[in-house]
Amino acid sequence: MSLKYGVLGLLKGEPLHGYEVKNRFEAMLGGTWEVNIGQIYTTLQRLERDGLVRPVGSRGDRGKLQYELSPEGHKALDHWLAQPDLGPQQLHEEIYVKLLLATRIANGDLQPLLARQKRAYLQRLRDLNRLEERARRDGRIDLARLVRGALLHTEADLKWMDELSSERFGAEGAAKK
Amino acid sequence: MTELIRLTDVTKVYQGGITGALNGLSVTIEEGEFTAIMGPSGSGKSTMLNLVAGLDRPTSGDVVVGDTDLGKLGEAGLARFRRDHIGFVFQFFYLLPNLTALENVLIPAQLKGIVAPGRALELLDRLGIKDIANSYPARLSGGQQQRVAIARALINNPTMLLADEPTGALDTHTGDQVMELLGQLHRDGQTILLVTHDAKLATRHAARVLSVMDGKIVDDARLESPERAPSEMIRVRSEEASR
Repeated sequence: MSLKYGVLGLLKGEPLHGYEVKNRFEAMLGGTWEVNIGQIYTTLQRLERDGLVRPVGSRGDRGKLQYELSPEGHKALDHWLAQPDLGPQQLHEEIYVKLLLATRIANGDLQPLLARQKRAYLQRLRDLNRLEERARRDGRIDLARLVRGALLHTEADLKWMDELSSERFGAEGAAKK
Repeated sequence: MTELIRLTDVTKVYQGGITGALNGLSVTIEEGEFTAIMGPSGSGKSTMLNLVAGLDRPTSGDVVVGDTDLGKLGEAGLARFRRDHIGFVFQFFYLLPNLTALENVLIPAQLKGIVAPGRALELLDRLGIKDIANSYPARLSGGQQQRVAIARALINNPTMLLADEPTGALDTHTGDQVMELLGQLHRDGQTILLVTHDAKLATRHAARVLSVMDGKIVDDARLESPERAPSEMIRVRSEEASR
């Protein structure tokens, strides 16, 4: 998703100025998405250009200028909310590229690389578990749910490494030489 | 910390090549550690647990727990060892159906010749299920049954608590509660060995994760617990609002 709909969604509740949008957006995502104020202003300007938001009151003090959703903005937001997320599967592909390249270079022994990556994923699971615990303790159920998603994704990454590991990934490259 | 468990070059061969064999496994575990043992099914992780528990004997190699070399014990000695030092929690709770929760918890103490209803009730209370002390297992939910099984495992103050997929038969929420309980016991000093195939659960409380594959330990990861900002762990964004 882009920032655009996040901003529209926040403005649906009440008119806000740039800093309010930034603060509420970051708070909503529990600090997992930090935006700079410049991005917020650029986004607001584009939304205004496209007729999805409009300023409330005078344009005197830009920093304090509040925006509200236009009827088109409401429509665009509702349409976006109703759509499933259809993008391609986002993979953390760097490790895979590393493995492919290492296959050509390392004579087929990728086990150390896989083992190091698995350890990194285990450590990430540990970190995420602690974050989830913290979020629940602080009553941030929304953040805890997001962390839960991250835990499940990391678990899948770990299983992928296990699978590559057990099928001796890279050995076929060595055999061809 | 003091060393509690030492396995040295342990092999376990099963007739007919059944899976779960061990293939020269060595590891030491300290007192007070919470260690998770992970691996695919048939990798030997449960076999390893059973050997530490004295439920089974290795084909070769040594299993030493505390000062006791389990290989030197006869059947009666092993039974005594299990009774005095091991608390075991299984995936399927194995409660006796014609005994109440309280009576189930008391069995290991009675085997020792001790009548300990006070301690049993205290344990049930600590595990949050004192009110079902007089209920029969059939009347209890899975989570409650597993708590009773944990209380039974703890009644004799075991040197270590061994748990083999303790959340495997529970729904996610109940499983979380059982894991939370294990975490709490560990914070109170209990040595715990947890066998699981769920990496999310393994890393929740265990700071050490042993990966077992083909009857060997292929990785021994000691995890850190630093304080990190959420944005260092999760980034919720893909594309920027440049359109």
